[in-house]
Amino acid sequence: MADLSVRFAGLELKNPLLSASGTFGHGLEMSGFVPPAALGAWVSKTVTLEPRHGNPAPRICETEAGFLNSIGLENRGLADYEATVLASLENTDAVIFTNIGGRTPEEFAEMAARLDGYDQISAFEVNLSCPNVQGGKLPFATDPATAEATIAGVRAVTKKPIFAKLSPNVAFIGEIAKAVEAGGADGITAVNTLLGMSVDWRTRKPGLALVMGGYSGLGIKPVALRCAWNCATSVKIPIIGCGGIFTADDVLEFLVAGCSAVQIGTASFSNPALLGELPALLESRLAEAGLNSIQELIGTLRRES
Amino acid sequence: MVAPPKDACSALAELIAIEILPGDGVLITVRPSVELEPLDPNRFFMLRREDGLSPKIPRPFSIYREVAREDGPADLVFMIKVIGDGTRALANTRVGESLRLIGPLGKGWPSFTEPADETPWVFLAGGIGSAPFFMAVEAITAAADEAEASGERAPTPPPFLLYGAGTRELVYDAEAFSELDCALHVATDDGSFGFKGNVVTLLQALQAAGSIPQRVRIAACGPMPMLRAVERFASANDLECYVSLEDLMGCGVGICNGCVVETKPDGPLGAWPNAKCCVEGPAFNTNAVVL
Repeated sequence: MADLSVRFAGLELKNPLLSASGTFGHGLEMSGFVPPAALGAWVSKTVTLEPRHGNPAPRICETEAGFLNSIGLENRGLADYEATVLASLENTDAVIFTNIGGRTPEEFAEMAARLDGYDQISAFEVNLSCPNVQGGKLPFATDPATAEATIAGVRAVTKKPIFAKLSPNVAFIGEIAKAVEAGGADGITAVNTLLGMSVDWRTRKPGLALVMGGYSGLGIKPVALRCAWNCATSVKIPIIGCGGIFTADDVLEFLVAGCSAVQIGTASFSNPALLGELPALLESRLAEAGLNSIQELIGTLRRES
Repeated sequence: MVAPPKDACSALAELIAIEILPGDGVLITVRPSVELEPLDPNRFFMLRREDGLSPKIPRPFSIYREVAREDGPADLVFMIKVIGDGTRALANTRVGESLRLIGPLGKGWPSFTEPADETPWVFLAGGIGSAPFFMAVEAITAAADEAEASGERAPTPPPFLLYGAGTRELVYDAEAFSELDCALHVATDDGSFGFKGNVVTLLQALQAAGSIPQRVRIAACGPMPMLRAVERFASANDLECYVSLEDLMGCGVGICNGCVVETKPDGPLGAWPNAKCCVEGPAFNTNAVVL
């Protein structure tokens, strides 16, 4: 049987499959569909310092080749996350990444400092790139200096691995990748959703109440793959690919492009048990290709013709 | 933390039968590949085609009927109104093809039989909103039969089912409903079938005629303007009232926060301004939510 384990950023994961933030709960809510130990890591929905009620409805809208959302980081805040979610994660054998979202660089650092002492958390994912807050201006993900400063602020308060989740809504994502590497990130998640919108011309109404939202799903895979590759070729730290991944072949494509692991998001809405089904599918793909270890594939893109 | 229902699963199901109804409705019968616990009325499932010929995001449908089999899991019947790409794809599925079935989801209706209460239920169905009432009536009948067998009183009287639609052909599967053990009354906006009017004016007329008592409990499912009218009626007459809501859902399992329903600030759901239709509903007491 091929070895699916991957090692990066000081972590040892049993496979390269992670849940994407916002699509698999705060803790292990989805464990009825996927056993806790089946995933490389569980990534929490974004936690913010204060509770957030989220955006007005409609918040979701499916389009021809993907899915728009404008949830607005609805969550009950850091204190509730500590009391409810982290308490429920004691003694779990799942690897947990906590995704944090702040309104200022100081808020990101404050959250990381408060969470640093919890052994349940294996790593932080720093959400620099939610398009559904702050008017879609993406202040942390589009300006290299701000991205670097934000990550540096988190770096200063924790020794846990930090993954910076970047936005595809920039001209040169490699430049942002270099900035977060300089700020001390241990890895990069590439990418968050693209900004998109939908219109019903008959009613003249937008599909989402706030008009713009984050576009995910099948249609963004080529963009996400390109972004992940841009990052992988710009920095030395590991990349977690994310965007439009539905199948075992999709996973392997991202690894070839240079990712050390991947996240599955929208595909879990199509089939909430998918993440638990993928390891066996990956094993059979690797066996068919005569590969003993999935790590052999990482960053093996052949550019010669 | 709001979690998916413990009995929910994600499985394949084979399409066993498909019946096109007059108008824009379709009945599909599917055979799950896994055994499910017996279903409470108005639990729902997320459904989509597995072959790539439908949108990737499944669509939510109330369970309409359950058909027990001797040699395997019960078949599930869904009554679907074709309104967009997701429902059209399901309506175009052929027998033998595979569907993704996620569920059972949601809490279903509140119990209509516990605790025992003499106040009869009035079920108000608008168009495709009739789907979650078929098994609700069956459940009340079953409880009454069980009580009778042990020499006890039925926990609640037989319900009244008031079924409204725009026109005759939108009274989906009327014949099946007419065979249920309940008083069925039909209303159409254009008067082409039954009473001319809507379910609320029909209820008022039946109460004025003495066919339905003044003191009833209400459960309603249908389009939002109807549900708002039902809520106003129930509130004006101080009647207990539940509404089953439909919403766009991303996941159906309480994770995506897409299907939010506004809660009443001083209501039983607490201070948080949103409830999740999928896991906290789809049926809500009207004292809990803003329609």
